[in-house]
Amino acid sequence: MAMDYKGPIEYSIELAVEKICDLLKASYFISKRSVALLLLQDDEEIREIVRKNESDTIDDIQKVVKEAKAHFANPITYELALERQNEVRLIIEKAVKIKKETIELRERLSRLTMNPITGIPILLLVLYWGLYKFVGQFGAGTVVNFLEGTIFEKYLNPFFIKAAAHIVPWRILRELLVGEYGVITLGLRYAVALILPIVTFFFIVFSIIEDTGYLPRLAMLIDRTFKKIGLSGRAVIPMVLGFGCATMATMVTRTLPTKRERIIATILLSLAIPCSAQMGVILALLGGNPKAMLIWAGIVGLIFLFVGYLTSKILPGERPSFYMEVPPLRMPSISNVITKTFARVKWYFIEILPLFLLASIFIWLGVLSHLFDFMVNLLKKPVELIGLPAEASKAFLFGFFRRDYGAAGLYDLNKHGLLNGVQLVVSCVALTLFLPCIAQFLMNVKERGWKTGLGISVFILFFSFSVAFVVNFILTRLGVIL
Amino acid sequence: MLTDREEEILEALWGELVEKKNQSCDISVLKDDDIIKRLSDLDYVEIRNSQIKLTNKGREEAKNCVRRHRLAERLFVDVLDIKKRLVHEASCKFEHLLHKGLDENVCILLGHPRTCPHGRPIPEGDCCKDVKRVPKKIIMLLSELELNKKATISHLEAQNQAMLQKIIAIGALPNTGIRLIQKFPSFVFQVGKSQFAVDKELASCIYVRLD
Amino acid sequence: MLKKQEKVFLPDNMSIKKIAIVGNPNVGKSVLFNVLTGQYVVVSNYPGTTVEVSRGRMNLEGTDYEVIDTPGMYSFLPITEEERVARRILLNEKPDIVIHVVDAKNLERMLSLTLQLMEAELPVMLVLNIMDEARKEGVSINIQVLEKELGVPVIETVSTAGKGIEELKKRIKSYGNGL
Repeated sequence: MAMDYKGPIEYSIELAVEKICDLLKASYFISKRSVALLLLQDDEEIREIVRKNESDTIDDIQKVVKEAKAHFANPITYELALERQNEVRLIIEKAVKIKKETIELRERLSRLTMNPITGIPILLLVLYWGLYKFVGQFGAGTVVNFLEGTIFEKYLNPFFIKAAAHIVPWRILRELLVGEYGVITLGLRYAVALILPIVTFFFIVFSIIEDTGYLPRLAMLIDRTFKKIGLSGRAVIPMVLGFGCATMATMVTRTLPTKRERIIATILLSLAIPCSAQMGVILALLGGNPKAMLIWAGIVGLIFLFVGYLTSKILPGERPSFYMEVPPLRMPSISNVITKTFARVKWYFIEILPLFLLASIFIWLGVLSHLFDFMVNLLKKPVELIGLPAEASKAFLFGFFRRDYGAAGLYDLNKHGLLNGVQLVVSCVALTLFLPCIAQFLMNVKERGWKTGLGISVFILFFSFSVAFVVNFILTRLGVIL
Repeated sequence: MLTDREEEILEALWGELVEKKNQSCDISVLKDDDIIKRLSDLDYVEIRNSQIKLTNKGREEAKNCVRRHRLAERLFVDVLDIKKRLVHEASCKFEHLLHKGLDENVCILLGHPRTCPHGRPIPEGDCCKDVKRVPKKIIMLLSELELNKKATISHLEAQNQAMLQKIIAIGALPNTGIRLIQKFPSFVFQVGKSQFAVDKELASCIYVRLD
Repeated sequence: MLKKQEKVFLPDNMSIKKIAIVGNPNVGKSVLFNVLTGQYVVVSNYPGTTVEVSRGRMNLEGTDYEVIDTPGMYSFLPITEEERVARRILLNEKPDIVIHVVDAKNLERMLSLTLQLMEAELPVMLVLNIMDEARKEGVSINIQVLEKELGVPVIETVSTAGKGIEELKKRIKSYGNGL
């Protein structure tokens, strides 16, 4: 179909298109006309392709483009959009009938979620019931206790230990399987009894929220705040997903429009967004201590905003702009939620289970070669510096493999009553901010490149310890008892 | 074709004779001025005993000149945001460019304004007659639109190509119906059957007029 | 800069036809992909979820098709990385059929991309998806007229309920043999 793009007074886009078409000698998969129109609209990618293919005529082409642009007060994109719209209107008039619109119930509900006066309480309700009650207390509490405490500790672990004692004659190999850091007793237990239920519960909530179309509404509510940290409301999607799995979320930062936004989001995801596994363990650790939980959340929230603000000041680039379609609120379909949760949990589990098992093997090797003790000793100093018992250095070493693995280590420490309130808060803050898991580190490198990926990790390593040091200093000085 | 100076004389006569409803104007000081003479030769004015009057033809032409001048002022103030003090001067130069046809476009674009920024009436053109009974319409920023009022997008003014493309992608193009649903913390509006959330910067690229 | 698109090497690359699914974000491209290929891609009610390009196979009465699901695009002139990826697929993969999926109730806004795809002389089929919602909102579309005006095949679907899929497959099969 040929459309005529008319311009004002004796010059038309059509004329420029014709001239360019004559100058295009190579063949493109798309029509020359289309190539010409894209050139007229300053499409850089197309210009590069044309530059490569038309070395003889590229200068003439550029000249035509320049000349054409000079003839229009509006950008050519605008002129073309108007022409196309007229064309579309003609077709629509013939083929489409639209009856009057009515404001229905779901539209009213939609407005409630978007109006800050009602929207923020709704958001808090969603967070409280969805995250705190369902994921935190039920998933990370009740379900984990049952799987961990009952299934593993009472039945599976004793069974495997016994079985290993019978089948495996060598002590060293037995250690690998069912020892203190064994593949089954530690790796599998963490993965299946601790992390899996938490992640599953998180993804159930996320899938429901996602299916209703609530997220774009959240994006519009938060856009102003996010602008202050160099992001736009659009970033709410990777951020919320980051509470599930920061690795997955880092991949999703691809949907952010500028490189600057992608880097800021990657840093914040690595630093200040605890993934669901980690969050679950932290909720379980601090769940019985609301004051400690508030302090932890406050500190991490502040760090999130502070680092975001700082990075947005340091990184050059344009202020992001925000636009997003707000789809109608829909009733989530149960089958959809189940399939989605399943797909995500599967992705997650396939990603982490090998890492957990591998971590067990590394630790086993480390113990055998005394490297583990050496590292733990090396970490003791910084760990004591932030006011934690030396035993916590093990948890931090685990944390190098995965943050949640480290958090799970803390969980064990706490179970044995080795941490007081302040120490709990400090260690939770340190581990939340701590280096992302290996998977996320690899994703950072893959998405952002070696330099940025490594840079982020080094920054985080020092930053998390520094913050923990300061927090410990302040809390102890103030004599806070939690 | 009249010169700029001649058009200005006609405008001044319109103000004195039509708007202030004077019977005639004394021009004894200007009696021998070339411009007055030419206007008289062209049958735009009648001069008797140093008193000047507009002929029917002159009246029509004067009306159009005034209309162009005041429309130009509106355009500068409402759309181009030129400070009031400078408006008159700029408009004087601009009005002469607004010949038949273009003045109608500007008038439609501005939503058939009835007064100039200084509050003087803008004579109606043919294009205004069709919409006479509808209350005053004026171009405004989307952000100034009242919530839930139906409006039509009049034009777009983007700071850069990327912003323009975003608005085009949303489908917020001129002559499309639009309704503002929310202003804070972000702007939410409905275009066609879809709703979009945008920030203030993007919302400020969209100009609308009330339906 | 053009990034090299990963190539899929198939034993008999020539006989396999490629279908690219394109369209605005959140119009049901991924659901359509799932239905056509029987493969699962995470789908959600927010724009911008398809970050990876998914590929799947479909067999229609003995003909193999490679189906490519693309990230959302609003216009043929890209602004975001996703749009760039989507357009690169069209430019580099040289699909035999480009299925443009639109939200039927918002046809007016989305038809502009159809025109741009046609202008590029890509082999376009227009799928009016989410027809159920469109009807509920009082939008009725005359398919025959639309087909005549555009000169490309137009199919109505409700991909989440599997409606219109058989017709779509029939039209894919007969694509190129007139409307």
